[in-house]
Amino acid sequence: MTTQEVRLCGLLLQEHFGDVVEKVGTHLIRSGVLNLRALALETKLALDLVKKSLCVLVQHGMCTFGAGRRGPAGPVEYRISCERIIHMLRYPRYIYTAKSLYGDTGELIVEEILQRGQMTMSSTVKTVADRLTHNMPEGQSMDYSEVVSAFSQLVETHFLQRCPPVASAGPSDSGAVDPPPPAVTPSEPENHPDCYRVPYINLTGKGKRRRSSEDGEADQRAAKKAKTDNDECGDEGIFWQVNFERFHLHFRDQAIINAVSCKLDQTSSEIVRTMLRMSEVTTPANAAFTQALSANEIFRALPSNYNIARPILDQYLTLLVDDPMEFVGKTGDSGGGMYVVNLHRALANLARATLESVVQERFGSRSARIFRLLLRKRHLEQKQVEDFAMIPAKEAKDMLYTLLSENLVQLQEIPKTPDHAPSRTFYLYTVNQLPTARLLLQHCYKTVGNLIERRLYETKENKRLLEKSQRIEAILASLQATGAETTQLTEVEEMITAPERQQLESLRHHINKLDSSENQVDETIFLLESYITSTQASR
Amino acid sequence: MTEVKVKKESTDPVDIENRIKELCQQFPQGITDQVIQNDMPHVEAQQRASAINRLLSVGQLDLLKNSNGLLYRLKDVQSASKVKGSDNQEKLVYQIIEDAGNKGIWSRDIRYKSNLPLTEINKILKNMESKKLIKAVKSVAASKKKVYMLYNLQPDRSVTGGAWYSDQDFESEFVEVLNQQCFKFLQSKAEAARDSKQSPMVQRNSSFATSHEVWKYICELGISKVDLSMEDIETILNTLIFDGKVEMTIIAAKEGTVGSVDGQMKLYRGVNPIIQPTGLVKTPCGLCPVFDDCHEGGEISPSNCVYMVEWLDF
Repeated sequence: MTTQEVRLCGLLLQEHFGDVVEKVGTHLIRSGVLNLRALALETKLALDLVKKSLCVLVQHGMCTFGAGRRGPAGPVEYRISCERIIHMLRYPRYIYTAKSLYGDTGELIVEEILQRGQMTMSSTVKTVADRLTHNMPEGQSMDYSEVVSAFSQLVETHFLQRCPPVASAGPSDSGAVDPPPPAVTPSEPENHPDCYRVPYINLTGKGKRRRSSEDGEADQRAAKKAKTDNDECGDEGIFWQVNFERFHLHFRDQAIINAVSCKLDQTSSEIVRTMLRMSEVTTPANAAFTQALSANEIFRALPSNYNIARPILDQYLTLLVDDPMEFVGKTGDSGGGMYVVNLHRALANLARATLESVVQERFGSRSARIFRLLLRKRHLEQKQVEDFAMIPAKEAKDMLYTLLSENLVQLQEIPKTPDHAPSRTFYLYTVNQLPTARLLLQHCYKTVGNLIERRLYETKENKRLLEKSQRIEAILASLQATGAETTQLTEVEEMITAPERQQLESLRHHINKLDSSENQVDETIFLLESYITSTQASR
Repeated sequence: MTEVKVKKESTDPVDIENRIKELCQQFPQGITDQVIQNDMPHVEAQQRASAINRLLSVGQLDLLKNSNGLLYRLKDVQSASKVKGSDNQEKLVYQIIEDAGNKGIWSRDIRYKSNLPLTEINKILKNMESKKLIKAVKSVAASKKKVYMLYNLQPDRSVTGGAWYSDQDFESEFVEVLNQQCFKFLQSKAEAARDSKQSPMVQRNSSFATSHEVWKYICELGISKVDLSMEDIETILNTLIFDGKVEMTIIAAKEGTVGSVDGQMKLYRGVNPIIQPTGLVKTPCGLCPVFDDCHEGGEISPSNCVYMVEWLDF
């Protein structure tokens, strides 16, 4: 847990859950494992508030609890997962992916579950159907069964999974007495046999349109009715959560496919896409290669509208294998040739390209040349760097030293004599990809933190203006509802002056830009994180 | 007995010397003592030694040392004549410079090797330079350092820096231009291959260019005043590899094919990068020079960042 990670987690918690949760969360991150009493004491918050915050964190799967150091009899201790908090940064991307794969219904399902942490299937289906109905033109409504089928699809493709069953009651309900500890090791959702089994629910009907505020009473009644509905659905106690791992695998596959299409061409990327799709379910999550696939199998699984003849496919596969990036490897000759996708190698190559791109953009293409040169040749003396890169000695020296001071390049001394005299020592420059990737990951965390801070600052600066515009919009809406005259409406509208309108416009532009940049940096974070975890796994 | 000996002595010295010289001419690589002994079995060791000594002192013979003993070799007639009329010190310095070959030698190294005072050496060097026996060449490694070598020698690449240096300045613009031209050539080739709509294998193979082809293209462009060799072009192509724009493969070629070296042919082709600039560098923070000093609440902070303001208003 680095300072930058803690800072970013704090910002994210504050944004999503508010100040109190942020305080509890940050304190938990800083001190590692704590029990409830210590946490309340050290944060100087009311026990009640701490409990509620922990509840929120547990609900979202960001906090786990288990028997403490003093064994099962001692107080329960809480542990927070930094990684999981940083995943909040990726929420827009998860939702977008669900949308592009399963349409609006998928989008809303994932959005709802992300927002609430965990939900039962029946309540998800109802909420989503209601929301969809609300957006449809008058007279139409969304059928529950459609939402149910989208939900089942998401489960079948493992994008959603059941929450691991909790062995005992939640920690938040008993007062001064700490609750009895649950199972010692928090069970992994994957180990659970029913993880991806969709329960049968008897849910028929259509989404209900939410009425505007006038018939609030009816709404309440509907809510009450919904509650009674719930009792009949038959899936109580089965909660679902988003399977982040599965989404990450999907992102990784997309990154590989994009890289292939940039490097080679569209058709090759389609072949790789087919290979990845075929091995999606059979390959374990952190494997270095996909399952081997024969050329025959690949040929049969290719989308039929692609029209790739068999000999052409063979040629493409040979090209992919020959490519120095080694995205695809050949493992045997049976079945027309067995092929695998080198997942770890591909990630390493992508991470390397990311590092190169950072150096290129920040220090110019000549420094990038030196950087690539060192990556390729491992250890070089200064003179060799100058000669290979064909850069005048003075400039090359400057660039090397700048890279060295930024820690992107390392210096290795090899003395010929034990006294380390400079004249009898080799000075070798080198680039270590893994530590450099870690360094850049920290930079990314800091950058996202900066962007969020800036966004908060921008909104704070224009707080008065934003509140005003919100107020006016509210007035406008209520006036429209009561059927006011158009002159009255324009009058209200003009309460925001032209310069104010302009300021609002530019603020919106700024916020959009900051938001989209956060997502872009997150893509870099994702690549570097997966590279680092994959490299650690293979060691 | 004595008579014979006397007779031999009277005839021998000149004869032996001539015979040795003849032998040396027969074997320009040099001859060992053994060869002389075999040729003139009747000559005693002492006589042989005195004859060789004489030849050495006159400067007609060179004494060399190799793995299996001493070697005698006839001295270059020219060089022998050149040094004529100069004193021993000059001869010594000349020899040291000659030994250095086309890499040249620095005046301080001459002093170490000859044990002569520096002023003396400078005088000798100036003298010999005026006689056009030696020349001074400025080295690219250190611009202030002059090295001396024989007048008729072509300086080594390590001294002049090859085609990339003019007056010991590295011509980085020239290198950049060549770098761009080579890339353009390979890129157009790759594009032509892509547009040809042939099978993927043929497409790939036709996007390759041998280093010889690139060399010919550059020569025909005529952008270079100096003659570039194929190795020169290969070093340029290597910089393109380090730029991440080009890939190289080595294939075996039949001996005598155009552009093959030692039965190998180097093939180059232009390639596309695998990713677009990464997300991090699209933000001002990714390029910020004061990134490490930036803290919320500090002098430099995200809230009052000037780069951020410019970027947001862009």
